[in-house]
Amino acid sequence: MARGLARLPTGRSDWRLMARTARLVLSVPTYAVVAVVATVAALTLFVASLNVPLVSSVVVGGSLPLVNRLRVLLELYPFVGTSFGTAQGVLLLVVAALSGVDVSMAVYHLREHGLSLQTGGTSLAGVVLGTLGAGCAACGSAVLLGVASLLGVGSSLLFLPLDGLEFALGALVVLLLSIYWLADGMRGGRVAGCPVDI
Amino acid sequence: MGADSGGEPTETESPASTADTPGGAVSLPDHPIATELAAQPRYGGLDGHLIVAFEDPSCPRCGAFHSQVVPEVRDKLVEPGKAAFVFRNYPVVYAWGGPATQALEATFARDESAFWGLLDYYYRNQSRLSVDTVSRLTESFLAGTGVDETAVVADAENKTYDDAVQTDLDAAEAGGVGRTTPAVALFRDGGFVTTANGSVSYDLIANTLGEA
Repeated sequence: MARGLARLPTGRSDWRLMARTARLVLSVPTYAVVAVVATVAALTLFVASLNVPLVSSVVVGGSLPLVNRLRVLLELYPFVGTSFGTAQGVLLLVVAALSGVDVSMAVYHLREHGLSLQTGGTSLAGVVLGTLGAGCAACGSAVLLGVASLLGVGSSLLFLPLDGLEFALGALVVLLLSIYWLADGMRGGRVAGCPVDI
Repeated sequence: MGADSGGEPTETESPASTADTPGGAVSLPDHPIATELAAQPRYGGLDGHLIVAFEDPSCPRCGAFHSQVVPEVRDKLVEPGKAAFVFRNYPVVYAWGGPATQALEATFARDESAFWGLLDYYYRNQSRLSVDTVSRLTESFLAGTGVDETAVVADAENKTYDDAVQTDLDAAEAGGVGRTTPAVALFRDGGFVTTANGSVSYDLIANTLGEA
């Protein structure tokens, strides 16, 4: 797997490999369902992580009728409520969708070929960074400022041109790397009866 | 905002009686988020539901919340007398939010209407504001409001109302509102329900308060 970690998707053929492998895995109904479930779960995790007290005391607990609880939960999602701007919402949806694809490919790889610790760790890093990205998408620069102050960096030195979306962009990069390494690990194999290699 | 911050809150001055809060929640007068509540800038009286927003003028999502959600809250909850909207300073994002908050306190001590105008101005002009420009732009805006703009900027630079800022920060910390802004605390019929972070929607607020 050391070969996989050293490789980065630099050429067009690498991106075609990622797209083809993901498409082949998702063409299997079971793994398509896994991807959809993982996407919804990732998005829910992203938005709920921003509002744990609200979810626990109003959506899960509390005395509101079920319809009100569901409405409160739905209002946390991008483009349903107002918590995220357009760019933030699109980026969160993309990160969630890539998380779904990544999880689906990881499950496929695990079941069919066995998954190395390094590749699995990369997938997990993608999901964790996606969660941080969701937190930052609302106004998480405050979180980063807190981290920076712990490291002795003055807040006036910190400049976040994307208002906290940097974490989500980081998650995007890690998820793409994870998907690439998963696809690279499947080279030479077959998915849904088709060869992975182009 | 501190107790010495003047201002003319609308309608009643005293917090609501909360002898029987829903679900045994912490009642309004006992909750740290409500510290010196009557001395804060607000829309509406304190005898119904309560929405307390901790905002930083330098936070982009606070700007979105203020322009998209607060007007609907005022129209549908405050104007019918169902709820009050209370603003508290929470300068935790960009550096210029600190001096801007000092200027907001100094302005509120003189004129509440000018305070709301200055807050709107900050949100509309976030891209122009920085540590280097905040004093000049504050002075420029206040020049047209009837408030002594030079005195406000001097008070802001001298941190004359820093105690009031600290009262808000202490209320946020003691209330556990988190550092994602805006942070909105919701009280239903005088009982604390929850905090919500980010520019949450009007529908989320109304459903949580049982007013959907």
